Amino acid sequence: MSFVHIQNVTKVYNKNKVLDQVSLSISEGEFITLLGPSGCGKSTLLRAISGLNDITEGSITVGGKDITNLPPKKRNVGMVFQSYALFPNMTAFDNIAFGLKMDGLSKKEIEPMVNEMLDIIDLKGKENRYPSQLSGGQQQRVALARALVKKPTVLLLDEPLSALDAKIRRSLRTQIRLIQKRLNMTTIFVTHDQEEALTISDRIFVMNHGTVEQVGTPLEIYTSPKTEYVAKFIGNYNVWSRDQLKGIPMNGVPSQGEMFAVRPEAIQLVSTEQAGHIGEYTADGTITMATILGNVMRFDVDVAGLNIRVDMLNEHGIGRLNTGSRVKLVIPSIEWKNIQKSD
Amino acid sequence: MLLLLVPFCVWVIAFLILPAVGMLISSFQNEGGQGFTLGQYSKALTHPLYKTAILNSVMLSLVSSVIAIVIAVIGAYSFTTFSSKVRDRMLNISNVMTNFAGIPLAFAFMVLYGTNGMFTLLFKKLGLSFLTFDLYSWTGLGMVYIYFQIPLAILLIYPAMYAIKTEWKEASSLLGANSFQFWFRIGVPVILPGIVGTFSVLFANAMGAYATAYALVLRNFNLLPIQIGGLVSGDVFPRIELGSAMAIILFVILMIAMLINEKMLKLARKGY
Ligand SMILES: Nc1ncnc2c1ncn2[C@@H]1O[C@H](COP(=O)(O)OP(=O)(O)O)[C@@H](O)[C@H]1O
Ligand SMILES: [Mg+2]
Repeated sequence: MSFVHIQNVTKVYNKNKVLDQVSLSISEGEFITLLGPSGCGKSTLLRAISGLNDITEGSITVGGKDITNLPPKKRNVGMVFQSYALFPNMTAFDNIAFGLKMDGLSKKEIEPMVNEMLDIIDLKGKENRYPSQLSGGQQQRVALARALVKKPTVLLLDEPLSALDAKIRRSLRTQIRLIQKRLNMTTIFVTHDQEEALTISDRIFVMNHGTVEQVGTPLEIYTSPKTEYVAKFIGNYNVWSRDQLKGIPMNGVPSQGEMFAVRPEAIQLVSTEQAGHIGEYTADGTITMATILGNVMRFDVDVAGLNIRVDMLNEHGIGRLNTGSRVKLVIPSIEWKNIQKSD
Repeated sequence: MLLLLVPFCVWVIAFLILPAVGMLISSFQNEGGQGFTLGQYSKALTHPLYKTAILNSVMLSLVSSVIAIVIAVIGAYSFTTFSSKVRDRMLNISNVMTNFAGIPLAFAFMVLYGTNGMFTLLFKKLGLSFLTFDLYSWTGLGMVYIYFQIPLAILLIYPAMYAIKTEWKEASSLLGANSFQFWFRIGVPVILPGIVGTFSVLFANAMGAYATAYALVLRNFNLLPIQIGGLVSGDVFPRIELGSAMAIILFVILMIAMLINEKMLKLARKGY
């Protein structure tokens, strides 16, 4: 049973179709992510749900109630912005209390609710600080509390972590996920960062030019991209057209399909001297570049002019594989993913 | 490098510090320039002519600043809603207008709103006499002051206004606030320091304005700068010492205004 139901939403800005017949359904308590590069319409969709933007066509239903034409304050959706958007003249406490005050609740009712939120976001003791006296991560947690304290039907997060540095970003995203699960909050999260989307979501909606290109769990999206666009965006996939593979001495290229994606970590690499005879293998090649990514080594391997990207665990003995090494490659047949060409 | 500072220092000493010190000394002297006395100050603060001049100046400055600020806040806010092209043009106009003051401004007003001014006659012809006013009254002078205060106020308030982020408005509306509640609880408190700061500049601007009032010669407005001018240039005979005392009083009033401003700024900024 879908809780948030977005049907054929189209948004036109000066003749420019920013959202084109977007439809999506989200269950209650689900955490979904809108993933796509900057300018693909993620914020526009989010703002349409919150009512900050109107839409040209389509309908939006939340919890069985059509909210398409309601003003923002009547929708009871919570929103967190990339820039935090905390009110600078109010303390953390007053920021969180603001929405409750607007609802006409008394001080006595407000205080325990705000305190509970402060507890959840782990900012007890900092409630009297002004936003400027808090770090970016703390500010964003206050913004989260400010949205959650009103018990919204849906929580909308527009790139909430993009302004933070990498370490805080990772810890805060875990925290957001935990809070979301604890409150069973239906959440729509927007990001252009595929790693973030993969780690945090129940389901991912990959967006491309105002349309949803593919929907699936992180595992589905990552292991089975359906289009060239998704494959290129989601990981470091090797993406080849049949034309590119023509004349390359490779075994096991599927006989069907025009476009293929192969995950770099699914490819095995053995140095020719070490290998001896490894039975069925896909191709011979030469390493043109070896890059350390930390726990993973990335190799660019040249096979008769075709570049193949291979990721391997940075294990003992991998040092033998170096720029210039002759190698044999193995691509298991199920790793050849047939994908659709994107324009 | 320090050598390059020499002209600046000489200039500051010769034209700012020395005259100020001279004025301070002279304000404590007897007429004719000797001895030590507080008489000039007591005269300035008790003689009806001079006391009224001080009060008139303060009143005129306060009133014109308050009115100009209210108009400028609304104006500056409306600027932020324009397209950037229109906005830049409006700011440029304000910039030019800020420099349109003193004698040219007074004459412009005379031509338009004087006893035989263009608009005065036009409005009378059209039977709209209620739109005319006596330029040479306090109301008239107030109008001229407000006129030259508004563009300056807009220029000073605009940056504060621009600092109000759209996301604050959006967040507040999602949290259930209407437009009035937004301005009352967030918008105005955020720009308050800017308003307070602007107010003190406007007040000083009006307190020191001399030429505008001086040019409206049909009536001798009893204002502090006019009195100082009269005492120093001395149509009959100059009274430099009394003039100096009045000037120091003007200076002290401006200092007090600035201190209050500083205090208010701190209050308004409390915490953030
Ligand atoms: N107010 C607006 N007026 C005109 N075009 C807009 C407006 N807001 C967004 N757009 C355009 O809509 C497209 C999608 O924007 P947005 O939803 O912000 O993308 P994203 O959040 O995915 O980066 C962009 O091309 C952007 O230029
Ligand atoms: Mg965006």
